[in-house]
Amino acid sequence: MKDGNKLRAASRRAVVKGGIALAALPLATVFTKRASAQGRPVTKVLDFTTGADVAKAEAEGEFLFYTHDSEPAAAGILEAFSKDFPKIKGKYIRAQNGALFSKTIAERSAGNFSVDVIQFSEPATALDFQKRGGYTRYVSPQTDAYATEHLSNPVGDYFWVGVTFAGISYNTEKVKAEDAPKAWKDILKPIWLNAANVKQSTSGMQFVQWYELRKLYGDGFWKEFAKLRPRGFDSRVQLFDRLAKGDDKICALAEYAGYLLHKEKGAPIAFVTPDDGMPAAQLLNGVADKAPHPEAARLFVDWLMSNRGQSHYQNNPYLYYGSVRKDAAPMPGNKRLKDFKLLAPSDMDHFMASRDAFNKEWNAMLGLL
Amino acid sequence: MQVGAPTPAIEVASLSIKYGSVVAVGSVSFTVNEGEQLTLLGPSGCGKTSTLRAVAGLERPSAGAIRIGGRTMYDAARGIEIPAEQRGLSMVFQSYAIWPHMTVFDNVAFGLRVRNETSLKEKVHHALDLVKMGPYADRNASQLSGGQQQRVALARACAFSPTVLLFDEPLSNLDAKLRAEMRIELRELQRRLKVTSLYVTHDLEEALAMSDRIVVMRGGNIEQSGSPGEIYNYPRTAFVADFVGSSNLISGRLLPEQSTNGCLALETEGGNILHGITHGRTPSPNPTLSLRTVHLRLSAEPPSDAQNVWRATVKRSVFLGDMTQLHVDWGGRELIVRQTASTAYAPGDATYLSIAPEHCILLERE
Amino acid sequence: MVVSVPDSPPASARVVSAQWLAMAFVVVATALFVLYPIYFLVQASLDVGAPDTRPPTAYGLDNFAALPNYSTIMLNTLVVTFVATIMALVFGFLTAWILTRTNVPGQRTLEQLMTVPYYVTPLLGALAWSLLGAPESGFVNQLWRRLGGEGALIDMTSPMGIAWVMALFEGSVAFVMIGAVMKSMDPSLEEAAQVVGASRLRTMLRITLPLVAPGVLGAAIFVFAEMLGSFSAALVLGTPARFYVITTAIYQLVSQYPPRIPLAAAMGVSLFAVMFLMLYVYRRVTSRRSYVTISGKAFRPRVMDMGWFRWVLFALCTLYILLSVVLPVATLVFSSVQRLAVAFPTADNFTLDNFRTALSLNAVRSAMTNSIILGLLTATIGVLLTGLLAWMIQRSRLPGRGVLEYLVMFPQAVPRLVFAFGMMWAWLVFPIPIYGTFWVLLIAYLTVFLPLGVRTISGVIMQLDRSLDECGQVCGASWGYRLRAITIPLLRPGLLAAWLLIFVASVRELGASILLMGPNSKVLTPAIVEAWFSTSTELTAAMALIQTLVIGIAMILFVVATRRASQQGG
Repeated sequence: MKDGNKLRAASRRAVVKGGIALAALPLATVFTKRASAQGRPVTKVLDFTTGADVAKAEAEGEFLFYTHDSEPAAAGILEAFSKDFPKIKGKYIRAQNGALFSKTIAERSAGNFSVDVIQFSEPATALDFQKRGGYTRYVSPQTDAYATEHLSNPVGDYFWVGVTFAGISYNTEKVKAEDAPKAWKDILKPIWLNAANVKQSTSGMQFVQWYELRKLYGDGFWKEFAKLRPRGFDSRVQLFDRLAKGDDKICALAEYAGYLLHKEKGAPIAFVTPDDGMPAAQLLNGVADKAPHPEAARLFVDWLMSNRGQSHYQNNPYLYYGSVRKDAAPMPGNKRLKDFKLLAPSDMDHFMASRDAFNKEWNAMLGLL
Repeated sequence: MQVGAPTPAIEVASLSIKYGSVVAVGSVSFTVNEGEQLTLLGPSGCGKTSTLRAVAGLERPSAGAIRIGGRTMYDAARGIEIPAEQRGLSMVFQSYAIWPHMTVFDNVAFGLRVRNETSLKEKVHHALDLVKMGPYADRNASQLSGGQQQRVALARACAFSPTVLLFDEPLSNLDAKLRAEMRIELRELQRRLKVTSLYVTHDLEEALAMSDRIVVMRGGNIEQSGSPGEIYNYPRTAFVADFVGSSNLISGRLLPEQSTNGCLALETEGGNILHGITHGRTPSPNPTLSLRTVHLRLSAEPPSDAQNVWRATVKRSVFLGDMTQLHVDWGGRELIVRQTASTAYAPGDATYLSIAPEHCILLERE
Repeated sequence: MVVSVPDSPPASARVVSAQWLAMAFVVVATALFVLYPIYFLVQASLDVGAPDTRPPTAYGLDNFAALPNYSTIMLNTLVVTFVATIMALVFGFLTAWILTRTNVPGQRTLEQLMTVPYYVTPLLGALAWSLLGAPESGFVNQLWRRLGGEGALIDMTSPMGIAWVMALFEGSVAFVMIGAVMKSMDPSLEEAAQVVGASRLRTMLRITLPLVAPGVLGAAIFVFAEMLGSFSAALVLGTPARFYVITTAIYQLVSQYPPRIPLAAAMGVSLFAVMFLMLYVYRRVTSRRSYVTISGKAFRPRVMDMGWFRWVLFALCTLYILLSVVLPVATLVFSSVQRLAVAFPTADNFTLDNFRTALSLNAVRSAMTNSIILGLLTATIGVLLTGLLAWMIQRSRLPGRGVLEYLVMFPQAVPRLVFAFGMMWAWLVFPIPIYGTFWVLLIAYLTVFLPLGVRTISGVIMQLDRSLDECGQVCGASWGYRLRAITIPLLRPGLLAAWLLIFVASVRELGASILLMGPNSKVLTPAIVEAWFSTSTELTAAMALIQTLVIGIAMILFVVATRRASQQGG
């Protein structure tokens, strides 16, 4: 199962220097050949190819999208899609990643199959869902534009619809220039006592940061951080909201996407790109099994995978995710994912096995239960 | 297969009503004949209202039987209990129970509508005229005065020509003058409609004025039943003697040699000899006689009676308007005398006290 | 011996009438609704087996044994509850006394306004006061600093702050309860004191206070029990500051990943036990001593002339309303029109974008519709159900009346959140998949509002003279006929009032809905909470305002309609 080494070398060669150190997902020793669209006719609609039957999709007229993203984000995606396909009405339901998963599983075990497309913010969740047969295997014609490591194994269950990464952010009015953090070690400074915020243990992004910084700086890193009694919240909007207003001075898990959004609103905040790299987390999206609107679902996923959808994910202020598409346009601020040094777990099994330890330590740190 | 006397309109046999472990009505039995008014009289808590409500079907007795017009309405032994709405009676409540959200007409018409009666309007207006409330038919019931509401309640009760009428202290919420008037009207109404009435009250005058027969109740049991005259003149127990009118109760040692032929004599502690009548009752060695306050006579000169004349001293005099109440000392014991105010007595006056032996009634031994 | 005419058929005495059938059905349904979730709650709390497996593989008391580890949470809960209760009682007592016993100007208007905080809801209050009093970003504190002060003048995220917000909104409930006690006191008791020469102060201290003391004590216990189960203020204000009370801790345990259901259930059961005890004490206190007659007769209490001082009292009452209604709403409006809410915004900080975004969100559109429909259904079915129950308890001769009364009042002893937790757990395994749907919310609302409806309608029934119904009986009308012709028309104003009360309660409901709300069945108040936790404060403020406005309009329409309908009844 662990062909990690071979593959890491291969992907590094494929990427520009200083680029993505994103982990590959555990691959089978036998490389699954991507059968293009599994024998479905491929049509071109607008400017992208799709394996869905557009006429049937329009006849279905609607679909249901489960996502972890915030409400404005979800509403925004669906609005953009409906501009392209006015006959298809997309509805969303938003919940925290963990809650989303529990609810979906509960529904399905009760025989309730109402979701068409589902998006998670943690690979562990997506894998679990895949194991339970939650996805429909649909190989989109768009998969050609994605590297293998950014797709599910086997291909067709889900894909990386975006990548979010986080650095440090601080309030410029509350923090003197000389105290401003520059590297990860700086978040341990005692001046941040009762003034730092992070995400809760439910966040996949937070899990990655914990894992990666522990790898870089050892087990004691977070124990030091715990002494600062940081506050934990559910969404990045909350973190930046408090930062912008000065309720907290520093955000130790500052997602770039959140920073951009609040900076636009005129918040007095600054973003720091630590030299040792930024933890990154991928968002995973796929068509659900027994989707009640199968064609509309496939059309939506194809749209998401295409440049149209991806550019939306990159540019919508509530999203601002980086795209892993091989031919993606730059993000706002004219940066590309590969311009950043990103940290992500390479050994997925080890990573996922440490979930419990993370939960315990993180919950205890945040004064949760 | 009818024999002898006609079926009594209401028959109550060995009725008892318990609330949990509290006995509200001990075993009570009486009958009401057709066309007569029987009044249940007694102080509050004596069980008269409970009995009435049991007859109406609004209370569930614990034992006994109730028959109305020959129909068994309740029989504990045979497990029969007819619900109130099927008993075909009529009742006037103490609080009148006038429905405020209906007009006077609708209030009176209610019972008729329930029975899907024809010629509704006629019957309602007839009933209203009976109680002289005809012009108020379309008035909203909540706008009536107490007296008017009472009449409407009466009209409602009479509207569907019932054979049995139940009254639960209907006049107690009226002022004295109105009460006196309504008493007479009610009596007239009953005579005219020839209904059988079961009436409950704690007011003595009402009971005496309106009833054909009275049942005096105390503590859930019947103390005495009989005609008003019978109860007033020949009380059976101390309670009845003092509840129905006011009475002096005198006990003493029986003098058997002088107690024959329906007469008896006793000697009081104070040494006075008192003669009375037995009214068919058997005296005990220590009998009690009831002497009504209005039968005792005071005179300055010794009266010419052969028996029951004594000297007495006036202790106190209370002016009551129509009467004067005098407290006299009689052999070391105080007696109360009521007389119409002809002679004025002052405290300390010496007088003669007398009473006819026929007015000294032997009470039954307890 | 007289041989009587054959008796009427005994069958009518024994036939199962419609009345009995209806009653039996209602009793069974109520028992099911109320006890089914409790069973599952207790079962979950005793689950010490493999996590996430149902039914539980092992039973034990380990979860309860673990509770002492969370003693800080228990302590927090007690502190906040005590302080909040005392504050609420002070608010309630003062305003009740001022408005029933003094000649304060504008008394009637003030009395009407005193109920508005109840509609504003503690959640909105908490949101607004968070905006006002957060230690760093709160408007008040910003103003304070602008005026030269140091640090923070007030800290809403402290236990005191949380208690303050709770008390501000529960105060109106205390006001209603204590006001009722004061109104039912016979004024001649005080007049007797005055006649023998006691001063006003002495009369108040030696006569009035001792007489109302049991009633006030009853109100205190009731308020305390409510505060124990209070959720919204602690959620919005306390959680960001890592300050947990039992209810928010339970919520946290249930919604985190992985959820810790057994521990949450154990906490829920403990809270339930305490509240049950308190409410038991409450009933003993209020039913035993009736210094004050609650005979349905309202006395006209003697009003004291306070001279010029009455304007001070007027100001006090107005202040309360300002703090609980005007200020919060104004704050929300102020925040919603800014990009980044600050106390002293620059000209370019104003925007209407928040409203534009808010209107596009699910939370606003579907949640509002759901809440209104749910409110209508709950109120209508609720009035029918609780009306029937209240009648059975008050007026029927059913043997199990006392038990029914306890059953119906039972949900009051369980904090809504805990009850919903039991329901969530219970209905998940129910063969009919109603979990996460509209219907489970309806069932939950009907169950938790049983006490409210029964209490309100019982009060109205008690005032109904029994003889009105008995007379109908004697006149020959069946139970159904009497219900239609006599009972319901007379009860109509009370029934309509209960309808409105239940409608409002269901729209502002949080504790039960937040756990039972499914993706397809979003409702108002939890949606606002969700927004608070996942979007910006400005957007949340905009959402809250839109929702409140729409619901407010709907409520005004209903109030007008019910008032007109109850007048027609005559």
